[in-house]
Amino acid sequence: MFDPYFLQQLAIGVSLGMIYALMAIGFTLIFGVLNVVNFAHGEVYTIGAFAGLMAITAFAPPLLVVLFIALAAGAFAGFGLERLAFRPFRRFSDEASLKSRAMREATLMSSLAMSIIAREAMELIFGSQFQSVDLAYLINKPIEIGPITIVNGDLIILGITLLMLAGLQWLLKKSPIGMSIRAVSNNALGAKYCGINTDRTIIFTFIIGSGMGALAGILVGLYYGAIFPAMGFTPGIKAFVAMVMGGLSSIPGAVVSAMILGLAESISTSFMPSVWSDMVAYAFLLATLIFFPQGLFGARRERV
Amino acid sequence: MSNILEINNLSLKIGVQDILHDVTVKVPQKGIVSVLGANGVGKTSLMRCVSGIYHATGGEILLDGQDISKLKSHDIVERGVMQAPEGRQIFSTMTVLENLLLGAGALGRQELDHVLTLFPVLKERLKQQAGSMSGGEQQMLCIGRALMHKPKVLLLDEPSLGLAPRLVGFICELVTRIRDEGYSVLLVEQNVKAALRISDKAYVIEHGKIVIEGDAHELMSDKRVADAYLGGHVHEGS
Repeated sequence: MFDPYFLQQLAIGVSLGMIYALMAIGFTLIFGVLNVVNFAHGEVYTIGAFAGLMAITAFAPPLLVVLFIALAAGAFAGFGLERLAFRPFRRFSDEASLKSRAMREATLMSSLAMSIIAREAMELIFGSQFQSVDLAYLINKPIEIGPITIVNGDLIILGITLLMLAGLQWLLKKSPIGMSIRAVSNNALGAKYCGINTDRTIIFTFIIGSGMGALAGILVGLYYGAIFPAMGFTPGIKAFVAMVMGGLSSIPGAVVSAMILGLAESISTSFMPSVWSDMVAYAFLLATLIFFPQGLFGARRERV
Repeated sequence: MSNILEINNLSLKIGVQDILHDVTVKVPQKGIVSVLGANGVGKTSLMRCVSGIYHATGGEILLDGQDISKLKSHDIVERGVMQAPEGRQIFSTMTVLENLLLGAGALGRQELDHVLTLFPVLKERLKQQAGSMSGGEQQMLCIGRALMHKPKVLLLDEPSLGLAPRLVGFICELVTRIRDEGYSVLLVEQNVKAALRISDKAYVIEHGKIVIEGDAHELMSDKRVADAYLGGHVHEGS
């Protein structure tokens, strides 16, 4: 029989994995359409958390509204990010420049710059310390299940993530905009010949990916009660690792990898001091890059 | 006969390179017009200009009398110019049906039955990953995808490239068949013999310039064409 501590960690690991998955999807979607890593994705997460916090302090709406506001703020941030850090570098629209190396390196720097600007701006406005969150909004009400205790946040995170994943799946398989995202990911030039508006598709990709990232931010903020300007950095790295493990542009791969990462990280505290648990992600990254350079699940599958 | 597509004095420069120079090509309503030439003379660049992938540096492209040369690729498709491009550019990890529907855009499944009658092979493979099909099947998917949009002008860039001779015959037959259904076709080919046989009118392009133009039938017995592209052998009629 498993001891309760282990089961407890397992429950936390699921929540952690779900959060990483929400983050990793944004990375993966954007990598799929543009072949670039969006280094400002961690800040979108922070923006989501702060947007939720501001809504709570301003007019104390119901939780669902808070989440929706975070989602909307993330979507808006994604839209702005694409306009400021990505669009200006896309001067030509043939396939050679849409996914070129020059484009990749330029936007790598510009998205990093945007992330620094956003983080510093939030520090200037809110200060670098933890923000206090109205206790009524914290999603840490304990629920006892046999020998272990989970909090209602675990269920909320699980529910919302599953909903988002199902929604995303529907969007990508059935809706015109989702089909366009998959088409551009698969063959950007072919998409142009089919009359797909690639610029618009790229904007939508940023909106969807950033909305999910921001949602992850507010969920974590309310789960731990800790919202601060640098909070996006660590989950950003973890989600990046999940994307690499999943094979860079595969959403199922990224989600599964994110779950593995979350579970491994929280279970690792059974065996070593919890301050070392962040190292697990880096160990996974190294192992992936050395032994599975195509990602854990192999390459040559559908992008996005 | 009025021209559905007129390319007038088109030039294209990429960097310092002159890719196209003063190219004029006219496609009549319900006609098949071919642009012939060897590798790397600007045929594909010309097609890319028409589809808005490249933007010409001079001249105009008139569709039904309206200039489309400044429009973006998706607006050009919207107006009814659809291309089966070089290298096929299908969505290899998506299914055949998804590929066709992406070509259809807002038309959805309206043309699906028609396309599947033209290409019965695709019917059995609708759920298959497009990239797992043979080259010939992928070429049919590529043309089928373009037809899903019911274009006013169909652009075909080297449809015979890399196909077995039997399939080249099938494609030629198909092109005449869709012309008879009322489509206008602009065809780019290296396979001069096959292209001249089905075309109404043809242009020969060399180093980005049109060097010969005329009735396809006449070009078949034109000595310059024969020397350069038909192994010096003049065809007596057909």
